[in-house]
Amino acid sequence: MRIHRSRAGIAGGMMAAGLATALTLTGCGASASHTSASNTGASQTSGAGQSSARHRDPAGFTWFRARPTPSGWHRASLADGQAVLSYPGSLHALTTDQGTVSEGLTTKSGTVLVYLNVTPKQGNETPSDWPDFRVGHLLDDDASAAKITGRATGLEFRGGNGSCVLDSYISKVHANHYREIACFVQGAHAASVIVAAAPAGDWGTYQGLLEEAVSAYAAS
Amino acid sequence: MTTKRVLMIMSAALVAFVTACGGSSPTSNTPGTHPASSPAAPASVQSSTPPASSSASASSSSGGGGIPQNGGGDHDSDNNGGPSDGDGNV
Repeated sequence: MRIHRSRAGIAGGMMAAGLATALTLTGCGASASHTSASNTGASQTSGAGQSSARHRDPAGFTWFRARPTPSGWHRASLADGQAVLSYPGSLHALTTDQGTVSEGLTTKSGTVLVYLNVTPKQGNETPSDWPDFRVGHLLDDDASAAKITGRATGLEFRGGNGSCVLDSYISKVHANHYREIACFVQGAHAASVIVAAAPAGDWGTYQGLLEEAVSAYAAS
Repeated sequence: MTTKRVLMIMSAALVAFVTACGGSSPTSNTPGTHPASSPAAPASVQSSTPPASSSASASSSSGGGGIPQNGGGDHDSDNNGGPSDGDGNV
């Protein structure tokens, strides 16, 4: 009887231990899954394994084809002709930093619907680190959250070679949600950045326009 | 006696479960930041074409009201909730 009780105790203990193990794996497994999902997002900006992948598959940039300024569009140049932005006539000049070009589409209340900006290289960004640099800069300067959804290097722009990132971010001020195409383009004489952005909720409406503006961007 | 042992083991197992999983807090998906960039060279005056047309009256589905343009920080629109420009500094 004592042996029976002892066996029953051992059996009970094993069942309890098994239950605890199952609980631990289940609970920790869920946690690990969450961590993995988060790390997936992080790896989009800093994964070493991304390097080869981004060359093989320019995620999000299959639309890119360098092309001349579309008929009827306007052009705006950086000083000394370092780069030329092409934009449709429906856009208008936005107040911008000196030495940069910004054209956009806004509502009467001032909400930005389309934003095109060209800026000479000002930081220590390089073609190889551009996607990570851009998102890091967004988080340093303007955004409370940012996520890369596509990237490409070695894109042949008119007059230069570029690296691009497709990302979305939430602005620190007013928590506005934007999506953007941001490219760092190295021309023969100068490097510059083109940003083509729209509110995330309006992306579907203006995506084609933004992609055309990026495709028609010219460096020198 | 057996029941007590089982209860004790289950309690210990529960403590072990909480201890094991307690430290695995969710990680942030915020990418790392970059070091500050070097100061920018003085920018030259832009040679932009004149404004092409008046503002559109399209409505935004993003809501959130108007985004004030410029007037903050280094006068970037992004200092006021607008889209971020392409500078690598501020």
